[in-house]
Amino acid sequence: MGSSSGLPTKESNVLQGHEGAVLAVRFNGDGNYCLSCGKDRTLRLWNPHRGIHIKTYKSHGREVRDVHVTSDNAKLCSCGGDRQIFYWDVATGRVIRKFRGHDSEVNSVKFNEYGAVVVSAGYDRSVRAWDCRSQSTEPIQIVDTFLDSVMSIWLTKTEIIAASVDGTVRTFDIRAGRELVDDLGHPVNCISMSNDGNCVLAGCLDSTLRLLDRTTGELLQVYKGHTCKSFKMDCCLTNTDAHVAGGSEDGYMFFWDLVDASIVAKFRAHTSVVTSVAYHPKDSCMLTSSVDGSVRVWKP
Amino acid sequence: MNEGDEDFVFYGTPIEREEEMSRRKRKAVGDAGQMRSLPVWKQEVTDEEGRRRFHGAFTGGFSAGYYNTVGSKEGWTPQTFTSSRKNRAEVKKQSVYSFLDDDEKVEMGGHGLETSSQFDTFGFTAAEVARKQAEKDQKMRPSAIPGPVPDEIVLPAANSIGVKLLMKMGWRHGHSIKNSHSGKLYDARREARKAFLALTGNNGTSDVVEDDPGAVKSVDIFEIHKDTPVFVLEPKKDLHGLGFDPFKNAPEFRDRKAAMVFGSKAQGTKRGLFTTNSGKAAPGFGIGALEESGVEDEDIFSSGFEFEEPYVEEEPMETLRTKQDSKLRLTDKEHGVLVGFRLATDVDYFIERFPPPAIPGEFRPYHKFLTPLQAPWKTDDMPPPPEAPPPEEKDQRILIEGFAALVSRCGKIYEDLSQEKNKTNPLFSFLRGGNGYDFYVRKLWEEQQKRPHQRLIPAPASSAQKLTAEARGRILGEKPLKRTEETTTPVQLQYHLADSFTMPSSLAGVPESEKPFRDDPLKQARFEQFIKDKYEGGLRSISSSVVGSMSEAERARERLDFEAAAEALSQGKNKRSSSTLVPPVAAMQFVSSGTKEENAAAVAEKKKEKNYPKREEFQWRPAPILCKRFDLIDPFMGKPPPPPRARSKVETLIIMPEILKSKLQEAAADAAPSQPSDLQEPDTAVTERPVDLYKAIFSDDEEDGEEGEKKALDSSATIAESKAGANSTLNKLIAGDFLQSLGQELGLAVPDHPSVPVSRKPSGIGDPTKLVESSSKGKSAQQNATDQAIDRRRASDGYDSENSHSDTDSGSHSDSGSKRKKKHSKQHSSHRSRSHSKHHERRKRSPSRRSRSRERSRSHRRRH
Repeated sequence: MGSSSGLPTKESNVLQGHEGAVLAVRFNGDGNYCLSCGKDRTLRLWNPHRGIHIKTYKSHGREVRDVHVTSDNAKLCSCGGDRQIFYWDVATGRVIRKFRGHDSEVNSVKFNEYGAVVVSAGYDRSVRAWDCRSQSTEPIQIVDTFLDSVMSIWLTKTEIIAASVDGTVRTFDIRAGRELVDDLGHPVNCISMSNDGNCVLAGCLDSTLRLLDRTTGELLQVYKGHTCKSFKMDCCLTNTDAHVAGGSEDGYMFFWDLVDASIVAKFRAHTSVVTSVAYHPKDSCMLTSSVDGSVRVWKP
Repeated sequence: MNEGDEDFVFYGTPIEREEEMSRRKRKAVGDAGQMRSLPVWKQEVTDEEGRRRFHGAFTGGFSAGYYNTVGSKEGWTPQTFTSSRKNRAEVKKQSVYSFLDDDEKVEMGGHGLETSSQFDTFGFTAAEVARKQAEKDQKMRPSAIPGPVPDEIVLPAANSIGVKLLMKMGWRHGHSIKNSHSGKLYDARREARKAFLALTGNNGTSDVVEDDPGAVKSVDIFEIHKDTPVFVLEPKKDLHGLGFDPFKNAPEFRDRKAAMVFGSKAQGTKRGLFTTNSGKAAPGFGIGALEESGVEDEDIFSSGFEFEEPYVEEEPMETLRTKQDSKLRLTDKEHGVLVGFRLATDVDYFIERFPPPAIPGEFRPYHKFLTPLQAPWKTDDMPPPPEAPPPEEKDQRILIEGFAALVSRCGKIYEDLSQEKNKTNPLFSFLRGGNGYDFYVRKLWEEQQKRPHQRLIPAPASSAQKLTAEARGRILGEKPLKRTEETTTPVQLQYHLADSFTMPSSLAGVPESEKPFRDDPLKQARFEQFIKDKYEGGLRSISSSVVGSMSEAERARERLDFEAAAEALSQGKNKRSSSTLVPPVAAMQFVSSGTKEENAAAVAEKKKEKNYPKREEFQWRPAPILCKRFDLIDPFMGKPPPPPRARSKVETLIIMPEILKSKLQEAAADAAPSQPSDLQEPDTAVTERPVDLYKAIFSDDEEDGEEGEKKALDSSATIAESKAGANSTLNKLIAGDFLQSLGQELGLAVPDHPSVPVSRKPSGIGDPTKLVESSSKGKSAQQNATDQAIDRRRASDGYDSENSHSDTDSGSHSDSGSKRKKKHSKQHSSHRSRSHSKHHERRKRSPSRRSRSRERSRSHRRRH
């Protein structure tokens, strides 16, 4: 495959350590480290390039579903089945604060650009914003216009984008004070933004990835071929925005061409469901995590 | 007082032992009389601890005042009774304690005497204390078991030290403490004393000895004394509270009471201890309870209070009351009379009660028409009746024409019924072979010839469950065939009149060209159903079963689409009627059936995909702190908080139009064949605006009405230019009124008024159809029906009275018509004023009526 020559299809490292399913894996801001979290209620910090496990963060009471790190690598936030958002200090591994307020499991969590706000999305159909600067553990904003569980969240400098099982991708523009609702008609599992910030890739539960234009809400492209029907799975665009990467429930990884939606690469990455995909911000390097308990590092 | 009385000389300050000298004791000493007897300047003020107060001598102020008087500086705090709706005044229960000072309350102690727990031999106080403690604990901590813990469970071990000692000495519960030897000794001593006293010869003391209970009982030394009975089995016979003993402090009355109970005969002779003439006794001290109170010392301390002697009254009162009670209870049961009330002997207020009407056994709760609604109507084989000249009277002619149209439309039953109804009405003589009968017959025939399939309205009952061809086709997924259009002749006014009773059926079977959702057959089917429901006045909710898979929001959106499309259709209808000859190009799809099926699915899929993603925009207000944390300027800075966003479905429906408007307009533009609309072209049927229920509910009707009125004014002004047009309008209206009234009387649903033919009016006035439509505009079909019913009722009222008038002056034909019209309008106005006061909302809903009557009167004036 000529077009897939630069794609990370070769396994470079396997990060073993999690006991049980790994639910999410994320690069840090510069792509030197990565964080994974899973059903064993721990967060783990790795150096994926050298394949070294650096630290384990334990405090969650139930499975950890998502993790995010600030751009200065100083703080972590994580969320999961215990309905709390944990705000960690990376170096000491201590929990600085716990944000309670979600009425049920928290699916996704993200820092804003300055690491001042944590925004979380929960099964309780709400998106909540938490202030990291003050001592208050009350949410500073609650958005509860969703009709179903909010699965994924993404923050830009001025917007909060959240995807829900009600089939909508909602963009909350803080600067303009408006809410844009893009109804896709299918439950949305995951959203991921293109690196240029113009498009949103939405993974839907009808085994389809949809690429939306953010300014107009138009459907730009549809990517099919993989299986995604019942698991929370991730999808992302490559660092060059040329390809779309997504896992499948059968353990395969798929790469589609962004423009013509053809599958340019497909390989078996895991033995079980690929729960999460993360792409290095600069290089052609990809992380995948799976229910089989491993995190794999892929390089071209 | 002299100083000599205080004979003690003290050196230094005596040290008082606090524990020795209880507070109570000190107080008692202070109060007992010593203080009172002293002159004021000698009296000492003490605080609640019993120490002397110096009235601020050392604190530099005068603090005499309220100390030792009442509890506050103000003395008795004056209180005003305030009670508001929010702050209800509590009903205060006053007790002795609310009037006592603090120290006095302390003095009262625990509401009575108690044994200290140390000497609580039988454990009663301990039990009480334990119970209180338990209660307190109960209040402190919430327990799993609600309510207080039962006393029986938590009874403490209440063996006091005394009991323990006694037990050790061999005492048992229920046994006398007195030991036999001491009792023996005691008895011996007493005997000796008795003997000694007997010697002295004093009789009085012997009584005392006899009274001694111990002496009487202690006969046998070895008798086991049971002087601590565990249970006192004594039935309670009085009406006092439990444990209350009225003779507690005056045991001598007990005997008397007993005597009275036993010998009620002796009641009359009040040989009592306390029988005074006045029946009252002084409550103060100084009089012995047993003293015969003389008249002179009867009321030494009388201070205006008159105390009823409680005992003397007790017995008779009690009996009296019980008697009364028993009597009342009896009557109570019988008549429901309150205690203390008596049933009036003569009642001047009766509630009249009527028995429910007796329903005959064979009654069946639905109406049966004597003749079948759709009477066999064989016109085809009937020879056409001869041509008949219309009656010279114009009204009559129009009436006949309209009636014929109606009968041909609705069936022979109308004729029969109205014939019966208007037996005495000379206007309807044509039904019975009178004036204008021939013309009527001819007209009827013409109407029937004109409309072979529209003759029969499907009766609601009969059409209920029949599977029509269309329905079958829908089930099978067939596309309805293009229906052959009827060529409408705009000249035939009566035709349109009748046609307007229902929506022309042509709309129900929309030809291919008019299908706005051609590419989505399912949606098209739903749309057709929608149209059908809409114009047949069915309930919309029926369609919900069809589209069960759709979400509420989708359904709402689709409904809006449909309404827009329906509007577009009805607007484009006149164009369609002229373009029927040209086969619609869009319908010419020649595809094989196999691929078509596949195509349809694909198309549906694609359509669905096309629908998504949908974008909507709402206002969203970020929290100021969020903006701050995101380093952004709050877009809502300084603005008042927006109203909470609509979350209910109804509200989203209201909001949605703004978003979808442009889309809908586009859809409408697509749906309507691109043909320039011609205002001059006759709009034959009442094409209602798409009914927007929500708008009808929420928008201001009054405005609409006024607008309609204004327009009516304008249009009536223009009407003046063409007399013929006005006349025809007028005639139509009369006929319409009549038909409505008829329909009303028959209890059959008759659709809306015929429209005023637009063609007669000069164009250029905003929207001439509004004249009629304004009354029904913006309302759902059901609402329309009710409105019409109201209108019709009114019309029928007016018409009836008119009939009665015309009965009187039927002789003069020359101007009877005009007179009648005048009266009619007058009648209308008067009637209107009546109904104004009665039904406020009716007035709102029928601007058209007003405009019509005005029009009528105007044109009439012009005529004269």
